[in-house]
Amino acid sequence: MISICVKNLNKCYRVREGNLPALSAVDLEVAEGEFVSIVGPSGCGKSTLLYILGGFIRADSGVIEVGGKAVTGPGTDRGVVFQEYALFPWLTVTQNIRYGLEMTGVARREREETVRRLVRTIGLEGFEHRFPRELSGGMKQRVAIARTLAYDPNILLLDEPFGALDAQTRETMQDELLRLWQATRKTVVMVTHDVNEAVYLSDRVLVMSQRPGRIVAEFTIAIDRSGNRETTMLNADFNAVRNEVWLAVRRQVAATIAA
Amino acid sequence: MSTTVAALPGGTQRRWLGAGWRFLPVVIVLLIWQLTVDLDLVDRAFLPPVDAVAAALWEMTRNGELALNLAISVYRAFAGLAIGSILGIAIGLAMATSQQADRFFGPLVATTYSLPKSSLIPLFILWFGIGDVTDIVSVVLACLLPVIVSTYHGVKAVPALLVWSARAMGTPHHLVLWRVLLPGALLSIFTGIRIALGFCFVLTISAEMIAAKTGVGKLIFLYGENGAYAYMFGGILALVVIAYLADRLLLAVMHYALRWHESLHTHHRTA
Repeated sequence: MISICVKNLNKCYRVREGNLPALSAVDLEVAEGEFVSIVGPSGCGKSTLLYILGGFIRADSGVIEVGGKAVTGPGTDRGVVFQEYALFPWLTVTQNIRYGLEMTGVARREREETVRRLVRTIGLEGFEHRFPRELSGGMKQRVAIARTLAYDPNILLLDEPFGALDAQTRETMQDELLRLWQATRKTVVMVTHDVNEAVYLSDRVLVMSQRPGRIVAEFTIAIDRSGNRETTMLNADFNAVRNEVWLAVRRQVAATIAA
Repeated sequence: MSTTVAALPGGTQRRWLGAGWRFLPVVIVLLIWQLTVDLDLVDRAFLPPVDAVAAALWEMTRNGELALNLAISVYRAFAGLAIGSILGIAIGLAMATSQQADRFFGPLVATTYSLPKSSLIPLFILWFGIGDVTDIVSVVLACLLPVIVSTYHGVKAVPALLVWSARAMGTPHHLVLWRVLLPGALLSIFTGIRIALGFCFVLTISAEMIAAKTGVGKLIFLYGENGAYAYMFGGILALVVIAYLADRLLLAVMHYALRWHESLHTHHRTA
């Protein structure tokens, strides 16, 4: 079952000097329950692609379908986790997680039950009534993921979700995400610049070129994830494919610098 | 990070002492005032000494004159401030979210922003006569502009990502205003209302001086006319106290309403 289908997508930004091509002839297919990552040099348009899938930015041309229907705007079938979390700073942890449930019209009883369950899942019991400014980066990230999972979207769009975290917290959060994904089997599209992260989490990794972004390489990651992080990371298969992806990205970065 | 301060009795005491020290400059000015009169550096006829002002203030309080006129002035000032703020927030929101509204109100705001609103009082007397309406309309007009401008800029400064995340979570367009733009602009809106609070007293007093039969402004004006300067100063002093208390009250409300805000823990402490 195809969940996301993008064909011949083009996008230019209008700037003072004229048109700045951001994405060029992008094709993308994501199957239901698949975890796909997009990596590439910074400024290659990978976030733009994610925002187009989210329905926030309109493409200039091309087909963008989610669940068989053309994307015309944002929708609760797609949950988005933004860079820097984008939590509402005036709402507490509980209120932030509850927000999407209120908007999608979930009954009060079920709403409170879901919020309680998610607060427990992300280990923030005792922080229910804290505001985002009183939370650490890792806690904010957990709330951002929880509030997106709360209204149960079929698809998760993650924009550099762990980019602002320190290395140790990032690894913990990656494992939590992996566990959540394995439990729910949602369709995930994640944009990241971290090759390790992409390979560690994804079924498939796509490499984008420098601007205007095109998809230049595709790697299917068939590694055994039944063990813990060390077993996976020290596995020869993991390292082999990680190195391949890393080289592919590096070539794009080198091309950017040379240009 | 969390900034919980342990509520030790010693800490509280020091805080109260600190609050007392804050008024030291005021006390110094009052002392200098008293001394200049006592040492005959200025003529008593032109500047009444502090003790005479205090006596006048006491007399005005005792006979009920002050309370009545203060109540009337405060009513006019706050009615004008409330109406002006609500209208200002509405217009500022409209301008920030709709191009048509921006095109309509933008030039009006730009051209009237620096106009002293008190210059319109004679016109309002012609339209509304002497009394509450003229006074309140003048105040509304003066309070309107700072609130419009600060609301407009506050809404424009709300990060697009917050709006996007609200939309992603199923917020319909009309609710984005209530759930995202308004809370996101709250600090800026409060700052505008605080500026308007200053204006509301300025305009109330100016309007009362020329277009009212009651109010502290009229009182100050009449006592001034008749050379009862101690009483005039008494009225002014009472007004200073009310304006100061109103500002502190607004600050307290602001701190509560914005307790979630990152930057409010350093700003607006004394000023």
